Amino acid sequence: MLCQICGKREATFHFKEVINDKIRELHLCEECARKKGFLSESFFIPSFSLSSLIGGFTGEAEIPFSIASQVQCPHCGLTYEQIREKGKIGCSFCYQTFKDYLVPLLERIHGHTRHLGKAPRGLKMSEKEKEIHKLRKELEDAVKQEEYEKAAVLRDKIRKLEKEKSE
Amino acid sequence: MNLKEMVSSPGYWLRGDGPEAMIVFSSRIRLARNLKEFVFPPWAQSSLLKSVAEKLLKAVKKAVYFKNAYYIEIGKLSPLERDFLLERHLISQEFNKGGEERFLVVEKKEILSLMINEEDHLRLQTIFSGLQLRETWDLINKVDDALEENIDYAFSSQWGYLTACPTNTGTGLRASCMLHLPALVISGKINELLKEISKLGLVARGLYGEGTEAQGDFFQISNQVTLGLTEPQIVDNVERIVREVVNQERRMREILLKRNRVQMEDEVGRAYGILTHAHLMNTRTAMNLLSRLRLGVDLNLLPKIETALLNELLFLVAPAHIQIREGKTLAPLFRDELRAKILREKLNESSKR
Ligand SMILES: [Zn+2]
Ligand SMILES: [Zn+2]
Repeated sequence: MLCQICGKREATFHFKEVINDKIRELHLCEECARKKGFLSESFFIPSFSLSSLIGGFTGEAEIPFSIASQVQCPHCGLTYEQIREKGKIGCSFCYQTFKDYLVPLLERIHGHTRHLGKAPRGLKMSEKEKEIHKLRKELEDAVKQEEYEKAAVLRDKIRKLEKEKSE
Repeated sequence: MNLKEMVSSPGYWLRGDGPEAMIVFSSRIRLARNLKEFVFPPWAQSSLLKSVAEKLLKAVKKAVYFKNAYYIEIGKLSPLERDFLLERHLISQEFNKGGEERFLVVEKKEILSLMINEEDHLRLQTIFSGLQLRETWDLINKVDDALEENIDYAFSSQWGYLTACPTNTGTGLRASCMLHLPALVISGKINELLKEISKLGLVARGLYGEGTEAQGDFFQISNQVTLGLTEPQIVDNVERIVREVVNQERRMREILLKRNRVQMEDEVGRAYGILTHAHLMNTRTAMNLLSRLRLGVDLNLLPKIETALLNELLFLVAPAHIQIREGKTLAPLFRDELRAKILREKLNESSKR
């Protein structure tokens, strides 16, 4: 097998990463492996990850170029096409600007689209936002406990609050 | 600061005093955070990175946790010095490339550290010995709270902490354990196990060489998902699965010992013999032999060696550690000679105790 980077030398190093039951493999010759920094013992590079090398945007459906290239983030000025190419988001405002692209991407990576973890204590979350955050957690629990009636009530409450918030 | 000092004072997490420390080398958690108003580092200009660094360093200096810390400017280090910090698990491969306006802050015990202007503005890390991810989380959570008092983080109530890469969005939390799994490797069960682990939403990583020279009995298991779960859920999930892997490794060690005792004794005995008598040794061989040594000590097939020393040796034999210790860059052959010398001396010293 030939090296996947130079395509010339025989691949003698085989890297494997298993994510969500999908095995990603990389076959490299010694020289390319060294150049890419793969040759140090895995022990010494615990952050080593094929996905970080390839970027989180792989496997994403193609987006019509014309649409993606028109909209610019008002804060950093990037287009989604630029972000996708580099595999890195421009700034915190990009999340809102490109949410139509990013939400499906987050869903595919994480299987979820809503944060349930901690929030900065000093965050000036409005009372409504705090309430919504709390309800979402309860909803998640209700679904897990298969209490679907309760979940439906919670879902309605959240919807109502979100609507009020955006008004 | 003097990196040479660090060589002779290993991080506290290397003391090997945590639960299951013979198999679980370390529990590590990192959090990714960004400042609200600033463009993320992969897109930011140097002048902007500079104000980010100033802001963050100011906040870090206020936090009680970093009172006794080294502040290291990455751009001022030589490639060798950066390799040294990489080997020590203190910087990432991204930081190893160097670059302006990048800083490493590490407190002297090396339990807590942070990188400024990596892929995200802030990457906070804690490492503990053994399997104690929950404790690791408790500490990093407190440090995060303390820093956050003086920093306006990029956060949305819908998506959580906003990061440069969507694979970190949400909690920005990566919890990982470094495991030593020689019995699962020897028995060939490892591939199957790693596949099982991946089905549970975790990532398992290792490095595989070709043919018989399978190398590296060290594996890292970490969470893949950062969004849609609470931090304790993520941490407990990784901890639970790592515990199961540890149990399987233990069972396999017993089986190997029962079925192939003589072969096992021979294998670890040879490793001990070479480590205590060789005069030239490359890194890969040293790592493999040290893995066997660790296994032999754990199974009482070899004289008792302190876990702290077994841990320390894995670092002392690393190429940049050898060169920093000598205070200069050395050709590979000289390194091989010094590596063999360090191993002989340290192990002979230990056997006299
Ligand atoms: Zn190549
Ligand atoms: Zn933006």
